[in-house]
Amino acid sequence: MSSSINLTLKIWRQPHSDALGSLETYTLDHISTDMSFLEMLDVLNEKLTKEGKDPVAFDHDCREGICGMCGAIVDGVAHGPEKEVTLCQLHMRHFKSGDTLVIEPFRSRAFPIKKDLLIDRSALDRIIQSGGYVSVNTGGTPDGNSIPIPAKQAELAMDAAACIGCGACVASCPNGAAMLFTSAKISQLALLPQGQVEGKERALAMVAQMDSEGFGNCTNARECEAVCPKGISIRNIARLNREYLTAVLSEG
Amino acid sequence: MWFVRFVTSSIGKKLVMAATGLLLFLFLLTHAAGNATIFMSSAVFQDYADELHSHPLIVLVFSSALLAVLLVHIGVGLYLFYENRAVSNNRYVVSKRVVKNSLASATMPYTGLFVLLFLVIHIFGFTFSPKDVPISSTVRDMLSNFFYALFYITAFIALTFHLSHGLWSMLQTFGVNHPRYELFIARLSLVLPLFFFLIFGGIAFYFMTGLGANY
Ligand code: HEM
Ligand code: FES
Repeated sequence: MSSSINLTLKIWRQPHSDALGSLETYTLDHISTDMSFLEMLDVLNEKLTKEGKDPVAFDHDCREGICGMCGAIVDGVAHGPEKEVTLCQLHMRHFKSGDTLVIEPFRSRAFPIKKDLLIDRSALDRIIQSGGYVSVNTGGTPDGNSIPIPAKQAELAMDAAACIGCGACVASCPNGAAMLFTSAKISQLALLPQGQVEGKERALAMVAQMDSEGFGNCTNARECEAVCPKGISIRNIARLNREYLTAVLSEG
Repeated sequence: MWFVRFVTSSIGKKLVMAATGLLLFLFLLTHAAGNATIFMSSAVFQDYADELHSHPLIVLVFSSALLAVLLVHIGVGLYLFYENRAVSNNRYVVSKRVVKNSLASATMPYTGLFVLLFLVIHIFGFTFSPKDVPISSTVRDMLSNFFYALFYITAFIALTFHLSHGLWSMLQTFGVNHPRYELFIARLSLVLPLFFFLIFGGIAFYFMTGLGANY
């Protein structure tokens, strides 16, 4: 059975990167509790468009929790109050009629706001570009099982590879650090034999890029892990620290 | 040079914090062991102090090294604090921390600075105390003052918080985080700081309450 709720939204509106932004208040009635959070924003945007106003800009793509495009801070928490879901997979049944929701963009010095809730996360892409890949040429397509990998190791690598790069970790870190993201991208390769060949160069290059993008320094506050929609563990950060230390002591 | 690149990187700075933190931790162990002799008697404590200071070179080398470690720990800690504030101050209109028990981690720079204030007072009170009064009497006289002892106990509470996050954080920074040891490390991060609190706080309490009147 579906029911509907009435909401008051306070949304960060900012025309472009250099403009001053502020919270604007909107009321939205008869929102079906079966809607996702983004569908609720769609309803708002339709209403704004009909009124001849500028719709709220927000990022989205797959709307099934796998692409990493969506995300906003809802009442102070990245991707809203539910554990391990992206904003697109958060449903309105988790809210009550009469609730006031404050919706702000993911913020970090390294994430300039483009418009409203839309941010530029290309700093994360540049961390990947600096070394988050395997570049060893292997000739023809290798046989799938030519390198045996223990199931447990493969599972750990898959857990790290679940990172969708949404940026919630950075947005929630009290220091704006990108350690959880970088550690997941390093771990998914460092855990597999194919990734170990370039392991040291990768750790050095990705950490150097991360530092140069203007992210903060990790203080092990654990907020990143708590808000990650994919449940990425800070055990990956411990692994990154180990990878980086061995690389810096023995590389070059 | 690799070393410069290392200590100026974000992870390098964390490792410097962790390594100096570990050394300070080890110092606290020796300091707690030595001071625990107070619970025996003033004579035993005086003997320990006299024995220690009968080797002035050991004391000089040890305390200079300790000072250097402390200065690096404080310097890098404050630098990180300053850098992180520049990135993240007041980012959101509404912000909420999801992690429970985040008090110790959120207050690291403040508990650290309080310990620093304590250290300055502590060193001026005891290390540079008048040479003609035996140290065992100085300790009793100073800590018998209610407010002086209360300040000591407050500082030890701050230290307990600092160490409870510090110990866990240090291991995480060194890359020690494994499901098998998770519970053990969580307990250690509680038990060891409390152990320090019992010994150091106990000494202040001992004199403050008059329990140690005829020590
Ligand atoms: C005297 C003034 C002190 C100041 C200003 C200070 C400051 C700091 C700061 C800012 C951090 C970083 C916190 C973080 O990463 O979130 C830290 C970490 C730490 N401190 Fe201190 N501290 C002081 C004294 C001490 C003492 C006396 C000890 C031990 C006996 C100690 C042990 C540690 C440890 C083990 C860490 C964790 C290292 C890590 O981040 O991995 N500190 N301190
Ligand atoms: S839109 Fe793809 S994860 Fe939310």
